[in-house]
Amino acid sequence: MAPSVLYHCPCLSTSSVPPPPHLPSSSYSFHPLNTLFFCEECDAVRCNQCVSVEVSSYYCPNCLFEVPSASVRAEKNRCARNCFMCPNCRNTLAAVPADPPESSDGRISGSVNEGPYILYCNHCRWDSVEIGITFEKPTGLAAQLQKFEDSAPDSLEFDRLKEHFDAFLRQSALAASTTGTHPHHTHSHSLHTNSITAAASAALARDIPGVGKYNPLARSTNNRGYGKDKSVNRDEMTEYRSRSEISQAAGGGELDVELMNGLEEVDEVASLDQRWESSWVSSMQTKDLKPIRIPLHSKRSKRCPACTHILIKPEQKSQSVRYKIKLVASNYLPGIVVVLPHVRQAKEELLKRNLGKSVSAQAEEPSVGMVAGRSYEFQLNLTNPLYDPIEVRLSVQRVHVSTAPAKEGVSPEKAKRPPFAISLPTTKFPISPFAEAWEYEDDEDMFGVEDDELGIGPASATVKTTKDKDGRARPKTVGVLERKANKTVVGGEIVIGKEAQGSVKFNMLVSYTYRSDDPAPSESGDMDGHNARAPEIKTFSFYTVVDLGPIIPREEVKLDL
Amino acid sequence: MPPIRDKFTIHSKAVVCQDVELKGDITIGAGTIVHPKATIFAIAGPIVIGSGCIIEEATIIVNRRKEVMRIGDENLFEVGCRVECPSIGDFNTVSARSRVHHTVRISNHCVIGVGCLVVPIEDEVLDDFTVVYGPSAERRKWSGRGKVQEMDLRRKHAEYLREMIPKFNRLRRGDGV
Repeated sequence: MAPSVLYHCPCLSTSSVPPPPHLPSSSYSFHPLNTLFFCEECDAVRCNQCVSVEVSSYYCPNCLFEVPSASVRAEKNRCARNCFMCPNCRNTLAAVPADPPESSDGRISGSVNEGPYILYCNHCRWDSVEIGITFEKPTGLAAQLQKFEDSAPDSLEFDRLKEHFDAFLRQSALAASTTGTHPHHTHSHSLHTNSITAAASAALARDIPGVGKYNPLARSTNNRGYGKDKSVNRDEMTEYRSRSEISQAAGGGELDVELMNGLEEVDEVASLDQRWESSWVSSMQTKDLKPIRIPLHSKRSKRCPACTHILIKPEQKSQSVRYKIKLVASNYLPGIVVVLPHVRQAKEELLKRNLGKSVSAQAEEPSVGMVAGRSYEFQLNLTNPLYDPIEVRLSVQRVHVSTAPAKEGVSPEKAKRPPFAISLPTTKFPISPFAEAWEYEDDEDMFGVEDDELGIGPASATVKTTKDKDGRARPKTVGVLERKANKTVVGGEIVIGKEAQGSVKFNMLVSYTYRSDDPAPSESGDMDGHNARAPEIKTFSFYTVVDLGPIIPREEVKLDL
Repeated sequence: MPPIRDKFTIHSKAVVCQDVELKGDITIGAGTIVHPKATIFAIAGPIVIGSGCIIEEATIIVNRRKEVMRIGDENLFEVGCRVECPSIGDFNTVSARSRVHHTVRISNHCVIGVGCLVVPIEDEVLDDFTVVYGPSAERRKWSGRGKVQEMDLRRKHAEYLREMIPKFNRLRRGDGV
């Protein structure tokens, strides 16, 4: 597992401190940078779990036709044109002319483009002749199949259900509107313009045994009362009688057993995922599978949950993949990549050695990683996306190692994080602004910059002394290593305890300051309002979790020797 | 192992580009088109390719067995596929990035789908009209409908390539025309 850096999104929680990373449940609040958004108004990071999503448009993934939201429900979320999916392999079906009848010498007779049309799957070579469907013309296939679909038992049943509920809803709406005493109440409860909420309120009014019946009209009935007909309980619904008895429905029971008894090949039975999408029991044989209309996809726009500003807004055209508004976190937060140089070197050497070998010979490879009891250096590569230079300060969050002694019977999984010590530079270091490639002068590399402060992480006074001794002799590993264009490489060190196991993960607080040249909002009478661009120094900080990968325990290494 | 002696018998009407890697005893029939950067290795035994075949870029056709590897007419080997079968019939399509092992014998009108690995452990013969598709290489039988149009399309494909490839690539001439 490559070392990675994930960013913490507080998700509107009040405490900004992220959960300790070694707990398995804290992985939900850390995300890779490319999945995060940034709200400019709130100055906060937002993730996919906290944004509110709404549908921007619907389109068919095959013909890329944008379906207006009004017809989406009418078409039952499917493409109304010629787009069908092969029931066998889920590929798109093409409408092709059927083969012309072969003439006696086997040559292709004149026109190949007329004649009855069939649906044909290019991938698995399924065609609709297998179920007996051919078309007269290649367009308007949906209309031609409409009559088949309308007479299907599930669609007839659905229509009957809709009629039944419609009647009830209209009745209750009428009844409520005639009271008139609590117009405010009735408007919000009964006169629903959206039938989804109408269905929801009907479901709420349903009888649940053991729970008192929720009656939003209760107050109004008490108040009006006298003149109205109390014998009729308006919330009661007539019994629904379905069109067909479920026990006699096609499929299931005896028919299936007979089918299985007479099976010749396993392929004759349709697989589960070919069958379970239809809401009705369908035949189990593959030769009965019908082409499916392609379901529509939707383009979504996302809003910040706190201030409801739009974070992501895609373009209306279904062909374009761009966005009108795109406030992604990678344009605001510095990107961090963590690298373990010794692993990288080992991998490169391995690649060179394996260049000529076949795949089977490559199977045996020694695992390269971090061994318990040693110390390694790692590098953090920070990239500045802003057009202003920023100054970054890193600090490792101290994790509270539980002081309770591990009892004998306690399983080792419950144990705390593995013991390790991190050292990172604690002073601020600047990163140059982002600019186009040609604006940079060549080679702004500056190695081994001034800041010599070695911040020591939790524990281990012994580590500190050894570092002081040969800290001067070794080349600098902790601190700013390299500055190139808008990237800075910072080195850090990690010392792993002897009995460590598990992965190395630690929370890191990154705070950076930058000067923003936003003009201060000027008052109307202020003369030099538009001249005074008071550059304010803004600070932003966020938590990240750095995962350096698993630790190879010491016993394994000994066995290899 | 005896050294591989190159002996290419390329028909005068075949279109074989200069950049093709040929090794061993190879016979290429009339009208076959071999795109540049294809690889045909007849390491242990000879390879005989029929007429009208189209072999696209990065294809690897290898014969590691002593017997002759016979490839029929009008087959299409798409980009990046790897074929080692001892015999292939006519009108087959081996799609991009698929692999067919030396244990398989392909008959006529078969289609090996994109990226499929047909690697059975024991010897196997794929009947006519077999279609292999999907990531787990499921198989089914093609009804044969549409094969006339596909044959027509293949021939038009080959004709077009025969016109265009010599315009943009150097051709290799066989030494036994």
